[in-house]
Amino acid sequence: MSEPDPVAAARADGRTTLTEAEGKRLLASAGVGTTTFRVCADADAAVDAAAAVGFPVVAKVSSPAVTHKSDWADGAGVVVGLDSPGAVREAAERILDAAAERGIPAAVLIEEAVPLDRGTEVIVGGVRDPSFGPVVLTGLGGVFTEIFEDTSHRIAPIDRAEARSAIEDLRAAPLLRGARGRDPADVDALAAAVVAVGDLVTDHPIAELDVNPLLATPDGVVALDALVVLEDA
Amino acid sequence: MANATAFEGPVYPVNPSGSGELFGSEFVPSVTDIDGPVDLALCCVPGPAMPEVVAECGAAGIGAAVIYASGFAEAGDEGAALQDAVVEAAADHDVSLLGPNTSGFLVPATDLRCSFASGVGEVPAGNTAVVAQSGGVAHVLAFQSRRQRRGVSAMVGLGNRANVGFAEAIEYFDGDDRTDSIVLHVEGTDDGRRLLEACRESDTPVIAYKAGRSDVGDFAESHTGALTGDHELYTAGFAQYGVPTVDATDDLLDAAAALGNSPPPAGPDVGVVTAQAGPGIIITDRIQRAGGRLPDLTAETRARIDGILPGITYDDHPADTGLPMPEFGAVVTAVAEDDRIDVVLVYELFEAALGLPVDDLEGLAERVGKPVLFATEGIDEEVDADRDALEAAGVPTFETPERAADAAGVLARYARLHADDPATPTTDGGRVPSGAARVQEGRSDE
Repeated sequence: MSEPDPVAAARADGRTTLTEAEGKRLLASAGVGTTTFRVCADADAAVDAAAAVGFPVVAKVSSPAVTHKSDWADGAGVVVGLDSPGAVREAAERILDAAAERGIPAAVLIEEAVPLDRGTEVIVGGVRDPSFGPVVLTGLGGVFTEIFEDTSHRIAPIDRAEARSAIEDLRAAPLLRGARGRDPADVDALAAAVVAVGDLVTDHPIAELDVNPLLATPDGVVALDALVVLEDA
Repeated sequence: MANATAFEGPVYPVNPSGSGELFGSEFVPSVTDIDGPVDLALCCVPGPAMPEVVAECGAAGIGAAVIYASGFAEAGDEGAALQDAVVEAAADHDVSLLGPNTSGFLVPATDLRCSFASGVGEVPAGNTAVVAQSGGVAHVLAFQSRRQRRGVSAMVGLGNRANVGFAEAIEYFDGDDRTDSIVLHVEGTDDGRRLLEACRESDTPVIAYKAGRSDVGDFAESHTGALTGDHELYTAGFAQYGVPTVDATDDLLDAAAALGNSPPPAGPDVGVVTAQAGPGIIITDRIQRAGGRLPDLTAETRARIDGILPGITYDDHPADTGLPMPEFGAVVTAVAEDDRIDVVLVYELFEAALGLPVDDLEGLAERVGKPVLFATEGIDEEVDADRDALEAAGVPTFETPERAADAAGVLARYARLHADDPATPTTDGGRVPSGAARVQEGRSDE
């Protein structure tokens, strides 16, 4: 049936960091599109999940103890382009073995692989500023985030028009409008996601929320990752 | 005290151990011993005495006090505790505090000059309220305003903002008849959202200068917290709440002169008229970087200018007459009446034989409902009289092509930031809701 409230679940566990799966459920509850995924306790379940989600898939470590998944365990934390049951099993076992070695609880998240060339990677984030309160950030995402620092900010909550203006403020805005023959991104859907992230930070005890990357495609947006940190209880 | 005695009302020196006179007034041992009502206490006493002094002022029915002393919240835990004690005493007696750690305030129009800085007696009355976090910057702006022949309606150094901060000051000056624009110097405040909300509530235009651009997060990390610097938040927040920002003290006063002395700009399209090509080129280049647009003039306007001055140097945009001439004012008027133009910016070197086109520009801005800005140059002895006349005729003047262009850019940005305002400007500079008109339009469609 309905998913448990991810924020309440983390609180009940005494955690301030949500897992990626919890973060994506929170985003989905606010209307932001996410990848199809399953959280699997063991390698067998991971193989079944891959078949259900459809190859190729991505395998990621799912643990509240791991926030920077791609840096974790010498690259075991995120493995992309898994196109066979054998490859999925190997990746899942490596994640679970690495977690066991480190003594942390972990599961394996299996999700559909989304080709990045279908859209533009953006970052949409929220943060609770001590002086301004909830703030929402929009920026060019993926590896470009830290290179270009192409971001714009708004004091949340905001409406759709303000979200569109935040997107228009980006130097990368022409990319989203379909520069050089690219298909234009669904900017309305992106604006809705920016509004939703602003609302989430406004309405919940969230210290910081990062959706990076959010893939802005011609037919909607897809959150490929989600990191949510709650305020101290 | 020497500055304060210029005030037209009674001023009482208070000192429990003082005897005799100070600047012609007898010392009073305590505020509670003063006969007659007192509105304001200027507290030149050491910090540790302040909680008691504020309590005494409150008991004497004095509703406001300036605390000049430092050594409060800006000076560590002990100072913060002292400030808390002062705020508590003020709350018990409903006393509004300016400071602590401030150099005070000025209201030149009433000769209320509560600053200990030398020269403040010469700051003229104007219509811009200066609200600065730093008392030093408040004085920088006040003295600049004198050199610019503009003056201030008030100058306030907020200091530690014990119980009067930006929001209270903005709300106050929005209701002040002498104030037509409010400029803010902001270093940082722990309630940025309340500051922004006060700006949004203000019908009087607000312009802000956030000092401290280098205070940014660590960009080596690509998450939202690290990507959200203090300066970026202020800049984005001010824009979101309708406040254009600038990056220099003189830009603040230029922007205030443009916004406070003009009809509200309806859009970002600037029409430039120049009597000399070079300054005009500087202006047109700079306006676009400052946020303005330079539309083509309509064919009607071009034909009209060609009729005024056949074979004019360049009758497109900018309209360039090539030199000062008697018809210059008529060309300005033609551009001002162009429907595509929201803001008019004029540059003309002063020519003594012609003077500035004061008669042509008298009331022009009000009549066309658009800001008309004017920059000129010459020797002050010759130019000042005409420049003052232009100001009196509703045309703000500027000292350089760059500063005029930047002021026009602020008007353009202001227009964009207020494009969605649910209000329409009225001729007296106030705003009335336009909802009624919209509802009527809607009904006529049914």
